[in-house]
Amino acid sequence: MIDPLFALLIAFALSGILAVLFWPAKGIYATYKKAKRNTSRVLIEDTLKHLYDYEERTVRPTLRSIAGHLSIGVDDTIQLVEKLQSMGLVESSQDGIQITPQGRSYALRIIRIHRLWERYLADETSVKETEWHLEAEEKEHSISVEEAEALAAQMGNPVFDPHGDPIPTKDGEVPKRNGVPLTTLKNGKFGRIIHVEDEPHAIYSQLIAQGLYPGMQVRIINTEKNRIRFEVNGEECVLAPLFAANVHVIPIQKQEEITSEFKSLSSLRKGEKAVVVGISKACRGPQRRRLMDLGVVPGTLVTAELESIGRDPVAFNIKGATIAIRKKNADQIYIKEFSQEELN
Amino acid sequence: MIDQNKCEACPVHNAGNLKRLGINMDKFDFVVALAGNPNTGKSTVFNNLTGLKQHTGNWPGKTVTRAEGGFEFNKNRYKLIDLPGTYSLLSTSTDEEIARDFILFGQPDVTVVVVDATRLERNLNLVLQVLEITDRAIVCLNLMDEAGRRNIEIDERALTRDLGIPVVPTEARQDVGIPELLKTVDDVVTGKLICKPYRITGSSKGLTKAVENLAEKIKNEFPGLPNARWVALRLLDGDQKIIDAVRSGEISGIVKRNAIEENFATV
Amino acid sequence: MTTNQINEREKLIASANTLRWEIGENIHDSIIESIYTDAAKIANKVVRIKEQKKKYSFDQTIDRIVTSKWLGFPIMFLLLAVVFWVTIEGANVPSGLIANLLVDTLHPLLKDFIASVGIPYWINGVLIDGAYLAMAWVISVMLPPMAIFFPLFTLLEDFGYLPRVAFNMDNLYRKVGAHGKQALTMTMGFGCNAAGIIATRIIDSPRERIIAIITNNFSLCNGRWPTQILIATIFIGGAVPAYLAGLVSAAAVVSIALLGIIFSLLVSWGLSKTVLKGEASAFSLELPPYRPPRILRTLYTSIIDRTIFVLWRAVVFAIPAGIVIWLVANVTIGGTNIAEHFIDWTDPFALFVGLNGVILLAYIIAIPANEIVVPTVLMLTVLVAGIAGVGSGSGVMFELDSIGDTSAILHAGGWTVLTGVNLMLFSLLHNPCSTTIYTIYKETKSIKWTVISTILPIIMGFAVCFFVAQLWRLIAS
Repeated sequence: MIDPLFALLIAFALSGILAVLFWPAKGIYATYKKAKRNTSRVLIEDTLKHLYDYEERTVRPTLRSIAGHLSIGVDDTIQLVEKLQSMGLVESSQDGIQITPQGRSYALRIIRIHRLWERYLADETSVKETEWHLEAEEKEHSISVEEAEALAAQMGNPVFDPHGDPIPTKDGEVPKRNGVPLTTLKNGKFGRIIHVEDEPHAIYSQLIAQGLYPGMQVRIINTEKNRIRFEVNGEECVLAPLFAANVHVIPIQKQEEITSEFKSLSSLRKGEKAVVVGISKACRGPQRRRLMDLGVVPGTLVTAELESIGRDPVAFNIKGATIAIRKKNADQIYIKEFSQEELN
Repeated sequence: MIDQNKCEACPVHNAGNLKRLGINMDKFDFVVALAGNPNTGKSTVFNNLTGLKQHTGNWPGKTVTRAEGGFEFNKNRYKLIDLPGTYSLLSTSTDEEIARDFILFGQPDVTVVVVDATRLERNLNLVLQVLEITDRAIVCLNLMDEAGRRNIEIDERALTRDLGIPVVPTEARQDVGIPELLKTVDDVVTGKLICKPYRITGSSKGLTKAVENLAEKIKNEFPGLPNARWVALRLLDGDQKIIDAVRSGEISGIVKRNAIEENFATV
Repeated sequence: MTTNQINEREKLIASANTLRWEIGENIHDSIIESIYTDAAKIANKVVRIKEQKKKYSFDQTIDRIVTSKWLGFPIMFLLLAVVFWVTIEGANVPSGLIANLLVDTLHPLLKDFIASVGIPYWINGVLIDGAYLAMAWVISVMLPPMAIFFPLFTLLEDFGYLPRVAFNMDNLYRKVGAHGKQALTMTMGFGCNAAGIIATRIIDSPRERIIAIITNNFSLCNGRWPTQILIATIFIGGAVPAYLAGLVSAAAVVSIALLGIIFSLLVSWGLSKTVLKGEASAFSLELPPYRPPRILRTLYTSIIDRTIFVLWRAVVFAIPAGIVIWLVANVTIGGTNIAEHFIDWTDPFALFVGLNGVILLAYIIAIPANEIVVPTVLMLTVLVAGIAGVGSGSGVMFELDSIGDTSAILHAGGWTVLTGVNLMLFSLLHNPCSTTIYTIYKETKSIKWTVISTILPIIMGFAVCFFVAQLWRLIAS
């Protein structure tokens, strides 16, 4: 029989090795997979996306901008562009490098997959919002068109990604965006956020940290040279113009009520009543639909009825039924004080 | 409230007419779908109608239990399908998809929506959604005893008027109201009762316009479609099943079926 | 269909798409809102509540008690303990009766009958000693506890108590990334894992449902309780003074069950952090009003839908297993039967992790049903150790009425306390039975999840047995 101590040591060593190899995200296997990513397909697709993006913004792309975008050398970029040219996806002339209609529809296909995947991550998974874009950057190169279409069908063919960008159709149609940057809105004006730009990452995570989502209503309190103060869902928010320019809004007339101080449902104590004002836009997908199906819609009277032993979840009386809701979800349901007239 | 004793005498109380057929139903004349929220006593109603002999299995390709049974009433043989209990027909959960698809594509002769009388408002959510899809529906206002105990009174006639479909109060646990329900089912499938279901009005201005715009186009493409407005809403919501049904023309199957029924009713 | 028609339809769909961009994202919200607005309008018109007297105070009183800080958990444990006690105690007598009829009486009769018609002995062996006996065993051990457990469980469900359990337990399950209703499917798993896995249909969020399916096997099912009790009585009870034996062995079995719960929580947590990290998750739970349970209806449906259903699947799988059991004990290669070949071959590894080849073989051929593990182990031990005078021939499973005799056979087979402890652990941590595996596949429709649910517990079982064995030897030396 093998010496038990020896056997234990071997076992620990083995599990150590396995951990180093397969540790999620940081293990050798995961690193290797990440390193393998820069295949020619990825380079081609990223180049096309870059060219399309510049064309949309009417900026002229250069070899240098492509090289910078892909973080590869200029020599490699020249080869890459030649390859794209031979595939008929780009043209280069004296005016510089231009994307062909064929290349444009290729780019739109990739963008469609990218935005669909972001929508999927936002609605149907628990992946954090700061990771959506990065994960979609990986995924857009590995999903086939059929898989993407199946995914779209299953999600009810979404037309916007979670940042508010329109998702191109299968045939490569995409509407012009009609919002204006938040910076152009005058003092005291109202607007609805329709788009929160997800690139660059550093700015995006700032905007997310402020809790800004498409669908929120904003009111400009005042704009100064280096900061913009505005009210969003009853809370005051301050952003530098550089950041605010990445938020697009459509101006709206004074809306229903964006009164101040919404409380969340989780603040309701046992026995207390309140009226639902709405569900935060951060609650998406099936979870949101389920809550609404259960009767959590604006105007519904809710009563906190029962606390579980651990105090989470709490059961609320919603339209006659007792529904248990976890604190995490209750946090996303806005309520206001209940008054008698409100009921009728 | 229904007085049980009084009803022993009334003409519809004809228990002899109800035969629980069990599962051997090779031939049936009509298909009845049973919908309802969870915890409304839907399965009690189902059991009352079909008795112990029922067939349970899964919905094709799904891990959702499907129960069906049969009964005979007034010489007509009925097949009763128990749909999954759902709060709504809009979300994408498998249960709701199954219920919705059956009512839409399965084309039951009548859909009975079992409703908890003590929580009418919540349950009407589902009723209104069913009425958007199909014309032939009956509300089975169950748990009337419970409602009585809680001093809840429901004006059934006003409800019938507002919804435009028959409303039958029942206490399924006590077998109260079941004969009336059967009679009503019979009346609806044979065309004695014509339903004029309520259709949802409100929704935001922009949406209403878009819906009308699209519904018009749908009516042009599929003349006679009874629920063009609903189809328009589903298209606007990106519902793949409906998109496919429009593309393949399957949605017009509903038209044909309806036309036949109407002819049948006028004869 | 004309091309013109197709074009028109495509145009229709395309125009819907354009409209969607214009009206934005809120369509789903506004549809539901408008439906509820209309529903409220109608309801307000037709519903009248006469002087609201203290409504449904009965429900509220019960709810206050079952969710109270001090009484909530004790009531839950008490109710579950009563259910298990009634199941185990109540099943003893009918199990004995059925075993008496099918195994002790009918089996010899059938065997003699077949022999008397002049059918060769090996057909007799395969059919009667193998297939029939395995089936008889499964029925006698499985049917009574399930016929008691399922109705009791369904009554609690029907009454409305079980959703409250899920409500109270959700706090714990949320922390490991699971759904409160998993507490219910796990409890169901104590009756039968296959039934527990079907019960996961009540979990409407896909991610949490997969977690509940994979971890259900850690609930010690009915088929494994008798093994636990027998081995604990022989090895753990036998290692302490006689007056403590009963208490200590009972405590050992309960600890194994608790260990199962701990493992299921740990694995749930691990899964939600790794493989299932990105999967969707949603929670909602309705606490329905309490309603008096319908006893006859419940009895009928729980026996037909659950008991007979599960039993049928088990019997279907047990019959081929019975045939295999008889064959491995009777088909010889080079003078020794297959069983002994296998046991000799696996013994070094098995002994190293504190088990033995007999146990491994028994667990392989008893994949169809955990119920036949002990009879198979006894048959194989007698076969390998060459003990004469017990059992009724090679390949014929048996059990002994006397625990003393069973103990003697196992000790003669070289079993130690370590073997006993590790068998108990391995009985908790090994692949699900074939009925359960099949059910997992039917429910998930995914080979990936089926394989994970099957392999994961085996790996854990060997790892745990390995560590226990090494530490045991380290301390003992």
